[in-house]
Amino acid sequence: MKRKQLSWYKKQDPWLFLFPTIVGLIFFRVGPIISSFLISFTDWDILRDARFLALDNYKELFTSSAFYQVFGNTLAFSFIYVCGVTIFGLLLALLLNQKLKGMKFFRSAFYTPVVTSAVAVGIIWTWILSPKYGILTIVLTKMGLDSPYWLGDPSLALFTVALIQVWKMSGYYMILFLAGLQNIPESLKEAARIDGAGKFKTFTKITLPLLTPTTFFVLSISIIDSFKNFELIYAMTRGGPQNSTNTLVYDVYLNAFVYYRMGYSSALAYVLLFIVGLLTAFNFYGKKRWVQYQY
Amino acid sequence: MKTVERIFIVMLVFMMTAGLFANGAQEAGTDEEAVLQYWSWDPELKSRNQEMIAKFEAANPGIKVELTTIEPKEYWTKIRIMANQKKLPDVFNLSAGYLEEWSQNGLLLDLSEYIANDLNNNDFYMNLFDAVKDLSGTDSYYAFPYALVTTLLYYNKDLFDAEGISYPDSNWTWDDFRDAAMKLTKDINSDGSIDQWGYWFYGRYAHIESWVYSNNGHLINRDTMKYEPDAKALEAISFLTDLVLEDKAAPSKKEMSAFRQQDVFPQGAAAMFVDGSWNIDNNRSVAGDTINWGIAELPKGPSGDGSLTYGWPDSLAISPNTKNADAAWKFTRFAAGEGLSMNMVMAGKIPSYRPLTESDAFLEKGQQPDNKDLLIQQAGEDMRTSFTLSWGEWRGYGAAESLGFNGLIDGIIDGEFSYSEALELADKNVNTVLDRNYK
Amino acid sequence: MNKRIKILVYIPLVLVSIVMIFPFLWMVMNSFNSSANVFSIPPKIVPDLFLKPGMFSNYVSVLGEFNFGRYTLNSFIVAGGSALGQVVTCTLAGFAFAFMDFKGKNIIFATILVTIMVPVQVTIIPEFLLMMKLNWLDTYAPLIVPSVLIGSFGTFMFKEFFESIPKTMIDAGSIDGAGSFRMYFNLYLPQSHAQLATLFIIAFMNNWNDLLRPILYINTEKLQTVTMALTQFQSQYTAKWNLLLTGGVLSIIPLLIIYISLQRFIIQGIASTGTKG
Repeated sequence: MKRKQLSWYKKQDPWLFLFPTIVGLIFFRVGPIISSFLISFTDWDILRDARFLALDNYKELFTSSAFYQVFGNTLAFSFIYVCGVTIFGLLLALLLNQKLKGMKFFRSAFYTPVVTSAVAVGIIWTWILSPKYGILTIVLTKMGLDSPYWLGDPSLALFTVALIQVWKMSGYYMILFLAGLQNIPESLKEAARIDGAGKFKTFTKITLPLLTPTTFFVLSISIIDSFKNFELIYAMTRGGPQNSTNTLVYDVYLNAFVYYRMGYSSALAYVLLFIVGLLTAFNFYGKKRWVQYQY
Repeated sequence: MKTVERIFIVMLVFMMTAGLFANGAQEAGTDEEAVLQYWSWDPELKSRNQEMIAKFEAANPGIKVELTTIEPKEYWTKIRIMANQKKLPDVFNLSAGYLEEWSQNGLLLDLSEYIANDLNNNDFYMNLFDAVKDLSGTDSYYAFPYALVTTLLYYNKDLFDAEGISYPDSNWTWDDFRDAAMKLTKDINSDGSIDQWGYWFYGRYAHIESWVYSNNGHLINRDTMKYEPDAKALEAISFLTDLVLEDKAAPSKKEMSAFRQQDVFPQGAAAMFVDGSWNIDNNRSVAGDTINWGIAELPKGPSGDGSLTYGWPDSLAISPNTKNADAAWKFTRFAAGEGLSMNMVMAGKIPSYRPLTESDAFLEKGQQPDNKDLLIQQAGEDMRTSFTLSWGEWRGYGAAESLGFNGLIDGIIDGEFSYSEALELADKNVNTVLDRNYK
Repeated sequence: MNKRIKILVYIPLVLVSIVMIFPFLWMVMNSFNSSANVFSIPPKIVPDLFLKPGMFSNYVSVLGEFNFGRYTLNSFIVAGGSALGQVVTCTLAGFAFAFMDFKGKNIIFATILVTIMVPVQVTIIPEFLLMMKLNWLDTYAPLIVPSVLIGSFGTFMFKEFFESIPKTMIDAGSIDGAGSFRMYFNLYLPQSHAQLATLFIIAFMNNWNDLLRPILYINTEKLQTVTMALTQFQSQYTAKWNLLLTGGVLSIIPLLIIYISLQRFIIQGIASTGTKG
């Protein structure tokens, strides 16, 4: 790079501009990421001094059946979430991407759950799904169906909570897809149509391929997002029944601030970080196989 | 890169000063006054605590007490941090479950001297002080018990009368209880679903350990510090789960899930309930005059003789770092003694302060239940608990309420596990936690 | 477009809107129930206090007796302070990344992007210890400071936005002899009203809805945020569904008002991250 003789800013200016950001990165990102790695090698209950344990926390973790259950719950939740928001988000965006009246209203309606807090959402749905008094239970019973015990049945609770999270967040991904759809030049679809392609063919041959960069972005964000389920679980099931909705983020909280096992909790947090990293890396690695950037 | 270094130093200074400022803002009070911090875990008692403090301050000029009230769910995390910071409040509520851990880590002031020299022993039930000593696993008194909590059988008199069943008394056995529960389970409006249940079994500590001890059993082997329920304890667990699954005399959790568990009985949905004596207060406020109810001792199990109670003392503790130990002691003695009034012990707790417990005020004539003298009798019985280190983790408590041992019992009720599978899991899971704590 | 296709589009749209909106309506309706009416079977579609005297009695008791007014104010302070701070931090950082060259620029920017994916649970324990050491527990500081200083999304957004403004402005500014700060403040910020609003609203909402930090850091009842207060309310009054649902309504009303009046900014902001990412 050529050395600038006459710069419009002073040499220290960038650092002044970045000062708060760098403080934040050091104290709330990089610093904690490193120190929680160190804590994960200790036994520490806040009351006593920390004791160095080497790899014991990780050994305990990988030999504990409870951990594998939590791990499985986490992956299942993420899988339902990523698939759910991608598919619903895309379908909603396709429906809204029409030049019809009232689309703005529908768009606003679908986005409403995104802006409400997970705690409020948890309370609403707990009431709706409540056995005996919940409106959904009552309606299902009226229709002669057997209403399941949505949040109390261990084989169903995780699915229910994940589905509510999908309900809450689909609107966000819908906006992303909608922006992607509106970026596709009309002329290309027009050209396809002139070549005699039907609606369906235009969709699969033109729209979907041109939407792949958006889809990739949606996947990247939703993978990261899928692990952020602490609030909803705290508000709805507290990890129960029988650990069936206990995910890594909730287990980190329990171990750190309920059982006071800071070391073990940090080890769990690192497993969490590892999975998020791995999935994200996997997504990026696979990118060139299916994402199409040229129009 | 000099600039960067300088920036970091500035930033550190900035954060530290901000921290000092935040701290300075909290400390108030003049030099002559002793200001005591008092932490309570009961939000419902906030205004009554404040009245008690006002009385104390009036009687003791020169001592100010500042009250902080924290939700039970968050209380332990927050007070632990204060302990870590050596900033424990001068006086704070301490649960029997933490006595062992806290006293052995030097986080409680040894009160033995004060108790020996500055306390009228005739004013207090001294066996509660001994219970505190036992629970701490030491030879000193590390806390001041202000009230005893026990477990009771609550029963709905109206439903018993309607069915013509005589009320439970101290001779009742498990079989009497089960017969009554089955008779009291009814489909009143004949719509094919039960709308009056004989019993309500929720499966938390107060709902299980109480039955285990009524059969003279134990969950924890105190010699090995392992989870080793004896045959009598297992008998109690299967008796309870069978009430739901076999006898169909108690509802599943699903049936009652829209209610708080402690409201099922006072709302009249179940004829009997076993829970802590603290629930008297809740029963009064939820049931009001709508039902007539009474209390009894737990029915005796086949191996029980009615002499063992599930109970523990709630205490006040003093910080070892307090600058005003004498003032803190004075306040503690006041708060657990003459400062205590009936409306502060939630009716069902038994004050260790004898003038209050043995007064007519304690019997609360005119309010339900009409036989509160039963509680005084229980105060004299042998007590057992399942408290250990990390009790909240293996038992399931607070934010982990539906996990641990609780989760396994729920699993039996929900049909997720068979009884024996659950017990196998309990053996493994509970002992994993205990082994970590007692090496 | 012909009629049949129109119907084919509208039917699912209406159905989905019902699924998305009904839970909120149901919550609002139930907040006008008296305690006696909540557990009625079959449920009353029209609540018993609706349009009757005492219609707002649940609201009066939740706001008064249960102090939700104070919690809402706290949430405004915390969310407003965080969002305002984040706007400043992110625009400054975005400006530096867009126009200035300095050592380590790429590494710092990459760190910001990579740490977006780190869940807060990974950093919360050390952060908690830091707050403890700083004596910030039970103050608003731990709720505001971390989110002010960490605005990865906003930094990224403003870097992209500033880069999209023609560079000639910089040249013109430097001829005038404007310093970098004046350039940022007088030339660039005035051009980015829409982006500033977008970032402010998104940061405001995230902080309003945050739960983990309030439950860890706040002890004193009068400092609780409305989201935290709602969970406490939930464990104390689960049987009083009418009051609980009223609390729920009160906790989301401020956000809904902000969202409905400013949704243009939110939706454009979200959409722009997608097309540029």
